Amino acid sequence: MFAHGILRSARAGLLASSVATGLLAAALTSPALAQETIKIGAPLALTGGLADEGHKQDVVWKMWVEKINAAGGIQVGDKKLKVELIEYDYQSEGQRASQLAEKLINDDKVQFLFSPFGSGHTKIVAGVGERYQVPTIACVASSESVYDQTLKYLFGTLSPNGGMTTAMVKFFKEKFPETKSIAVLGRDDVFPKSMAEGIAKAAEAGGLTVAYKELYPVGTMDHAAALSSIKAAKPDWIYITGYTQDLILARKQMQDLGVTAPIVTMVTGPSYKEFTDGLGPLANGISSSSWWHHLTSYEGQGVWPTTAAFYEDFKARTKGDPDYVHGSCAAAGEVIVDALARAGSLDKVKVRDAIAATDIQTFYGPIKFGPNGMNLSRELPIIQVQDQAIKVLAPAAIKNADMIAMP
Amino acid sequence: MAIYLQILSNGLMLGALYACLAVGFSLVWGVLNVINMLHGSFIILGGYLTFFAWHLYGIHPVVMLPVVAALMFALGFALQKLVINRVVSAPVLTTLTLTFGLDMILYNAMTYWFTATPRRITLDLGAVHLGSIVLPVDRLVGTGLALAMTLLLYAVMRGSSIGRAIVAVRMDRSAAELMGIRTERIYAITFGIGALMAGVAGVVFATVFPITTNVTGIWLGKAFVVCVVGGLGSVPGALVGGLVLGLVESFAGHWFGPQQAITAGFVLMLVLLLTRPTGLVGVRGYE
Repeated sequence: MFAHGILRSARAGLLASSVATGLLAAALTSPALAQETIKIGAPLALTGGLADEGHKQDVVWKMWVEKINAAGGIQVGDKKLKVELIEYDYQSEGQRASQLAEKLINDDKVQFLFSPFGSGHTKIVAGVGERYQVPTIACVASSESVYDQTLKYLFGTLSPNGGMTTAMVKFFKEKFPETKSIAVLGRDDVFPKSMAEGIAKAAEAGGLTVAYKELYPVGTMDHAAALSSIKAAKPDWIYITGYTQDLILARKQMQDLGVTAPIVTMVTGPSYKEFTDGLGPLANGISSSSWWHHLTSYEGQGVWPTTAAFYEDFKARTKGDPDYVHGSCAAAGEVIVDALARAGSLDKVKVRDAIAATDIQTFYGPIKFGPNGMNLSRELPIIQVQDQAIKVLAPAAIKNADMIAMP
Repeated sequence: MAIYLQILSNGLMLGALYACLAVGFSLVWGVLNVINMLHGSFIILGGYLTFFAWHLYGIHPVVMLPVVAALMFALGFALQKLVINRVVSAPVLTTLTLTFGLDMILYNAMTYWFTATPRRITLDLGAVHLGSIVLPVDRLVGTGLALAMTLLLYAVMRGSSIGRAIVAVRMDRSAAELMGIRTERIYAITFGIGALMAGVAGVVFATVFPITTNVTGIWLGKAFVVCVVGGLGSVPGALVGGLVLGLVESFAGHWFGPQQAITAGFVLMLVLLLTRPTGLVGVRGYE
């Protein structure tokens, strides 16, 4: 968009000098640690459009660093090394994330990178990490296209999107056997688009008719035309993907235009508290899937031995409930701890190989990377908003409610 | 047939909202020759004021309308008087850079204070059914308010001495000064009215769209397109431009898929730039 483009590029240009000053200040004031430390670099979206997501990563990484350093640090060979987390705000601008990743590697000499939020920006940062053979742990990138670039140094703690679609089709068909057709509306962006395409394929494979399937561009502020077409198609299941503001608007317009179906799914809407807060009673009945939920009860190694321990710690720190972003990013640190313990050194290649061989249990669940570097598929929670609270419908082990039709 | 009537009504309601968001931007651009990069953030600031008044104190958005209008006028007036007037005669790139800088401050301050979390006023007033056509009440009210404010501004511009002074300054600044018009004051009032209309759009939008700083650039982009389509510097131009854009986006979204809806608006803009640079109802000299 023209004006948006001007705004973004001008914002980027004019901020360059202030960012440079900020980076210099950060470099100068960064504690000059006498002893050897393990440096982890994180380009973070602390301002701009992805600021909320960036802050989620920031809070759990800081929690993790405090805990690990309080315990003496990470065991590497015969030494215990403390962790230093170096963060820079890339202002939600992908290009700047790339520049800051370069700076983290070349100037700050980080040994690991934590990648920023989203598949798109992960792709950018992972490319830089690959160039310098710096292992990059992505905790909020689930699109397989990010991992299909033969990047040897990229590892992701989320499972592939595919795990969220096939299981959902099967589950909903069991619960609502009369479901025959689905309408899919997806945001034309890396993750939402891959989910929209994934669910359409899974639905067809599961015997459903795809009555409507369209993408809407980033920046869409009106879904009336698409929803009117969906209404005319009379599907049994409406599946919409996007980010929170898109989904709040879509749900509101569905209500306005009288568009409904027995099943309405929004991805990843209900995974975020902001979604249910923004919609109020309108959120009721909306289903979704998520990579993690705090009701799960995993046990394992790391600074948080159980899901409950992480939940309590998080709650005490932020007064709120953690979502999958918090869980996945907090677990990313444990991948490094485990790999360094097994590698016994900071040698890039040895550490990379150790990460590739990861097979651990954590509070977040199992982490074992497939050949492409993604955490292997596992049974992911299917959730639904009931009485404005998140209920888990599946898997059976953590289920706390039965599925209901849209009110 | 029913679906086309529905799309027509969707487009008209959306178009009225677009007109409301663009009229202040168009006025400032046309009169001051200032491309006000703050406009999108002004809309969202108006939305936040409305949201927090409702969320914290239960004040209805309609009650907040005059309050937000007054506050935004004061903010706009002060900004023009104290800051922008110092460079208002400079080339357009200078004022664009200045308003861009001010926008960065306001945008990031709002993101810092309010976070980028989308917020919404959950009034959910239901819908009116006319046969098979569904008209959401909040959009109808928003459309009514948007049209009323746009027409009120039109009346002010046509019938009041301030309005005539603004038009005079727009037509010929030097001649207006020779006639005794204090142009710097008129500039401040015009920018104040631009901010006021952005604030009003923010109040209306707070009941219809999620409020988040993420969308400031999107609203600014819509204002650009509406101005080019309708014509710069006039209230009817913004109204026509808004309605046309709303209709084009709605029908293109239905015929070619939602992916092409925004593209269709920009194609229309490009065609008009090539064939009718003054816009559909614009005045020659302000293209």
